[in-house]
Amino acid sequence: MTFRTGLFLGGLVVTLVLTFLFLLTPIAALLLQVPPRDLPDLLRDTAVSSALIVSLKTNLIANVLFLSIGTPAAYLIALGRFRGRPVLLTLIELPLVLPPAVAGIALLTAFGAFGLFGSTLAGLGIVLPFTQAAVVIAVTFVAAPFYLRAAISAFAALDRTQLDAARDLGASEAVVFRRIALPLAADALRAGWAMAFARGIGEFGATLLFAGSVARLTETLPLAVYAQLDVNLDSAVAVGLLLLAISGGVLLVAKLPPLWSPAAPSSTAGGW
Amino acid sequence: MAAIPRLTSRLVIAVTAPVTLWLRHASQSHSGNCLSGGGDRARHLDLAPLARLRLLALVGFAVAALALPVTANATTIYAASSLSKVVPTIAPGNTYSFAGSDTLAFQIENSAPADVFLSAAPLYAERLHSKGLCSTPVVFALNTLTFVTPASNPAGITRVQQLDRPGGYRLAVGGKHVPLGIYARTLLGKLGLGRALTKNTVSSYQKASDVTTVIALGSADAGFVYTTDWYANTTKLLAIPVPTSAQPLIRYEACVVSRPGSDTTAANAVIARLVSLAGRQALFNAHFGLPPKT
Repeated sequence: MTFRTGLFLGGLVVTLVLTFLFLLTPIAALLLQVPPRDLPDLLRDTAVSSALIVSLKTNLIANVLFLSIGTPAAYLIALGRFRGRPVLLTLIELPLVLPPAVAGIALLTAFGAFGLFGSTLAGLGIVLPFTQAAVVIAVTFVAAPFYLRAAISAFAALDRTQLDAARDLGASEAVVFRRIALPLAADALRAGWAMAFARGIGEFGATLLFAGSVARLTETLPLAVYAQLDVNLDSAVAVGLLLLAISGGVLLVAKLPPLWSPAAPSSTAGGW
Repeated sequence: MAAIPRLTSRLVIAVTAPVTLWLRHASQSHSGNCLSGGGDRARHLDLAPLARLRLLALVGFAVAALALPVTANATTIYAASSLSKVVPTIAPGNTYSFAGSDTLAFQIENSAPADVFLSAAPLYAERLHSKGLCSTPVVFALNTLTFVTPASNPAGITRVQQLDRPGGYRLAVGGKHVPLGIYARTLLGKLGLGRALTKNTVSSYQKASDVTTVIALGSADAGFVYTTDWYANTTKLLAIPVPTSAQPLIRYEACVVSRPGSDTTAANAVIARLVSLAGRQALFNAHFGLPPKT
């Protein structure tokens, strides 16, 4: 290794160390703020357990929604040949660039009592504000774009010749999607889902304005953190760490090789 | 005092200095090339290190000009959100940070660079004072609560006593531990409506402006807001009279933050302006109440 190569590699390592120090120092500081043995006591509060239940329930529904509807939609956007694809891709990304509070106002002006569809919904007997349905909508609205972006990239990166080969062998389009495209894109889809889940479970601004912060009904973990800040910094940090553990766990699991992979032929794992 | 002009001049330096440098360098290298009269290849080799230097100088200048402490001498005022419209007209030319009083107090406790703290409730100013983090608080304004519904009043609320009906309304109120929520609970308590917050669906907010927003947009049937916030949204919010005797005492307090390097002279001048005749007039015009003159 020449001196210059060594210098370059050294530089790379320095940037890596800087990156990790910068990103992990605040998280480490959070861990140091509250002694781990105090965590169980701080989390025993009923407000925390009810917020945890609200968060898990609403996020589960939101995730099922955007996975089941978003995956086929992303497949069509990625592989379909039609005009205006860049515009469509950008439109999907728009909810990402909205500040969360503005996303909340946007949802209110669409589905709120005085919103575009407010009177229609009221006519059907549907009242969204201050309900868990509103939490699900808010979470889906902010999290789905993360998944859609990843899913579109995943499907677009597929080797089209493999899909065509299946078609040549007589597979219907539905079978190509289910048996070829989905398994091949599975890893990338899982990674995209993990990011979307993490974003959704940490959702704050849109939920607060659109769904409100009603204890045991719409108060999710991030809303509980904010409310706890005024009472006790330590318990707010404890709830924050709980959120971090949930999201961190999901992100890690998504990166581990699956225990059971349905259609991945052993050849793709060759070399391992 | 002159934070904005100073920041502007820094930005001007940050932008113009590298450009000037670049122009000068470009003209020099141009004349140099004329003298040497070398071929394209030679010129390229000759210039590469200089171009790199130029880039370094560009970045260096920009960073240096921007990194110099901009706020070293400016007075930084941490003020409750409800003061955001009126206080800058009383004490213009300062740096402002508006948020909930609880958030601001928390930031000051964690050594935020504030010089003056304007709190929407005595609780926070006095907490900082007892910790030795600010001077003895001075009351400079008063406020009241207003019970409001959306302008169209879809739930048909005409009296605050209706909140006592079981299972009734969607209410937006301040959180249990923020001033707006504490005041609302005091008011309900004085009216004997303490259980109104368990009989209805209650959504709690940490920020007063969030309460105003969700009522104005019809998510909530009613709620309690600061009277000054109602005056700012009279077209969207309908005020329902509340007995004056039930009003909580809402006092805004100012104090000078004690921290190493804080500009206490300028900070005291800001508070002096708030309690001056002109300051009182501006607060009165903005529908705040006024404490007895000191």
